[in-house]
Amino acid sequence: MSTLPIRTAGYLLALSLLSCGGEDEASTDSITLYTCISDTTVQPMLEEFEQANPDSEVELFRAPTGELNARVAGDVRSGGLRADVIWGCDPLTVQAYVDQDLVGGWIPDNASAVPEEFRTADYVGAQVLYMVVVHRDGVDAPQTWADLTDPELAGATAVPDPTFAASALGTLGYFADADGYGLDFYADLEGNGAVQVSSPTDVTVGVAQGVYEAGMTIANEAYLAEEDGSPINVTWPEPGGIAIHGPIALARHSADSAVAQDFLTYVVSEQGQQTLADAGSYSTLPGVSGPTIPPDAPIVLPDWPAIAEDTDELLSSYQEIFAG
Amino acid sequence: MVLVVGSTMVLVVLPIARLVQIVLGEGARDLGEVLTAPGLGTAVLNTIVLAVLVTVIAVPAGTLMALGLRRADLPGRGFWRMAVLLPVVVPEFVLAYSWTQAYGRAGFTGALFGLEWEGVLGFGGVLVVLVVNAVPLAYLLAAVGLAARGEPNLERAARACGAGAATVLRTVTLPLLRPAIAAAAVLVFVLTLGTFAIPQVMGAPAGFTTVTTRIYADLARGSDPFTFIEAVTLALLLVVLAVLVIAPADTVLGPRLRVTRVAEAEGAPIVAARTSASRWMAAGLGCYLLAAVALPLLALVSAALTRAIGIPPSPANWTLDHVTSVLDQRTVEAVGRSLGLAFLAATLLTVLGGCVAVLERRRSGRWVGTLITLTLVLPGSTLAVALLITYGRWFGGTLTLVLLAYLAKLWAFAHRPISGALDRLPPEEMHAARASGASTLTAVRTVALRPLAPALLCAWLVCFVIALHEVTMSSLLYGPGSETLAVVVLNSQELGRIGQTAALSLLLTVLMAVPALLLWMVLRWLRTAHA
Repeated sequence: MSTLPIRTAGYLLALSLLSCGGEDEASTDSITLYTCISDTTVQPMLEEFEQANPDSEVELFRAPTGELNARVAGDVRSGGLRADVIWGCDPLTVQAYVDQDLVGGWIPDNASAVPEEFRTADYVGAQVLYMVVVHRDGVDAPQTWADLTDPELAGATAVPDPTFAASALGTLGYFADADGYGLDFYADLEGNGAVQVSSPTDVTVGVAQGVYEAGMTIANEAYLAEEDGSPINVTWPEPGGIAIHGPIALARHSADSAVAQDFLTYVVSEQGQQTLADAGSYSTLPGVSGPTIPPDAPIVLPDWPAIAEDTDELLSSYQEIFAG
Repeated sequence: MVLVVGSTMVLVVLPIARLVQIVLGEGARDLGEVLTAPGLGTAVLNTIVLAVLVTVIAVPAGTLMALGLRRADLPGRGFWRMAVLLPVVVPEFVLAYSWTQAYGRAGFTGALFGLEWEGVLGFGGVLVVLVVNAVPLAYLLAAVGLAARGEPNLERAARACGAGAATVLRTVTLPLLRPAIAAAAVLVFVLTLGTFAIPQVMGAPAGFTTVTTRIYADLARGSDPFTFIEAVTLALLLVVLAVLVIAPADTVLGPRLRVTRVAEAEGAPIVAARTSASRWMAAGLGCYLLAAVALPLLALVSAALTRAIGIPPSPANWTLDHVTSVLDQRTVEAVGRSLGLAFLAATLLTVLGGCVAVLERRRSGRWVGTLITLTLVLPGSTLAVALLITYGRWFGGTLTLVLLAYLAKLWAFAHRPISGALDRLPPEEMHAARASGASTLTAVRTVALRPLAPALLCAWLVCFVIALHEVTMSSLLYGPGSETLAVVVLNSQELGRIGQTAALSLLLTVLMAVPALLLWMVLRWLRTAHA
């Protein structure tokens, strides 16, 4: 069979293809944001920023951390990072970008209003997740995290996988170092029949459905399900809900971009943080009212530099405990 | 020839070479550490066991189904032919998720009948759902094989000479089907090696890992260079596994399986008039589809319509909120983009697949068919990274890159069915047409297309459906203004609002079912018109 007509068809299709690659040349200054923050939180912030700065445009690439990492790794090996701003979901990811000299070196002036523990000279926390306990209606609210190992909850608790979710890794790092907990806490959980699922979302869904009685999950998601009517409750057990902040950082190659700097300043500002809180995420800025948080809720922070140092060790000890 | 070699370079050789270059260039000294990491052996073993079992179960099951559905006395045959394809229409992650919803603890059957399957999360569940997902593919390839290669007159002759049904099957039908069965086996095996969504959703909670779930775990915490190298190395390990199995199969079996026949298949297939057997068969098919597809989809509908997770799906708790909330402007635009992209990809792939099938009949072209299967085994995340690294400089964030990814991933899907049917076409008939004065185009249209039509259609359809519900590659490669439906689905999935994800998944399923139904109606109409 001669391939001539096929080849012609191929060329025609190739031509039509090239036309889908075209992007309109914007007269506005545009920057690219890479993030894993939820779409419902990011969209209203972009809208507000673009409204206040009609000459600026923020192009968004939003994906879960795994895809985001792969995209950055691909960018770096094909001509360089194509983002001007990266807004990650946990400090480990962003610190690793800093270590590779991809981002950092600048934070906006108004970042000084954000508590010190949420920022470094290279990035500033602009959103925070709290790892808390979710439990079914009718189950006694755990007073401490250790209550999850109570024999009454045998075989009925769920924990998220720290190799999959950075928030779970932060939690693992916190407990490994916490007085009276350590990795023994995870061994006790496992001994009590706790089940490891992928993500905090799976924990919330599993508890809501009654597959598990209680579990570790992210507070705002659990509150949302509770508001929708799921038969669950949220508790902030002692020593506290574990705060996992999502830092935002300026790309090194965009150090001079006024739009990128303006965007970071906006995100950290009271207005930006209020919009973020209204969209259902927790702010790092004190005084911003957002999703539910009990007035006297105890809050603790993982020691991120220590976790970064020991990630492999932490994970392999954990996997020995929860080996399938 | 130029087109095939050029495309192979662009879609397969260069991206894989870039991955190899990265591993050797950046991570050569870590290679030993990566390959001896604790747990990797188990993951590799799990992957191979799954791929072998799924192939061994799904391919015979699909072939049997195709043979059964050939019987004209089967009650509701038209419906069954359509319905057995349903699992492939449902996106993989939806299928996995809906199974856990249907049969898992506190699931649908638990609520209705008190029946729960604890093993749905873990090896058993992963295996069963992978099989359910692969059976339609094997069925489709076998059915196409029968349409393109079946020799009803030979079968009739054998029966007339006194052979029983089993003997006819063994000595006539199955030998003719071999290339189609081989194509199905290769595709199912490779597809299972590289599958990610089903083991992730159903295996991870039970600590069941495969090579692909490890790759994703590496990427998820892989902002440091070492874990990235680890992910790429594991992906290349899958390529090596695929080569070890497919290259010998293609070299040894490929040429032996081909038989040249006359182009015209004559006569209707023989039908034994045993209606009770066909009734049993219909009942069996019905039970299978009920368990494999209908109940899980029903669980999904229930999740999409129920106000919150964990409350009874009674009418008082029904709401259309989830459905309306996902039907916004962005979803509609993304759907449009996905449909266009899938259409373009399927069309290009059918052309490319056909070219390879032609080329590999020459001695010099045999390697191409094997080569293009290698990008199928790469998990979406790694293939996307490979393409980004190779072409991101020029196409980063555009739909072109997403399209290239689809072409690279699905080329084998288009090639194998066509290749399995091509030996229906004796070169002499093309030569005769040309010698009698027909132009190339006329010769292709009048001589080649008719016997190849079922295979071309099958290739197009499979590519279209899979491209439409591909999630990983498009969510990793999209850019501003090139969001596909997959991106919208991932956004909702991440929020943990099961109702919305279920609603989107249903939308996706309906989207697949509509073109498939139209196509079926067109085919039916063509057949009646032809008759």
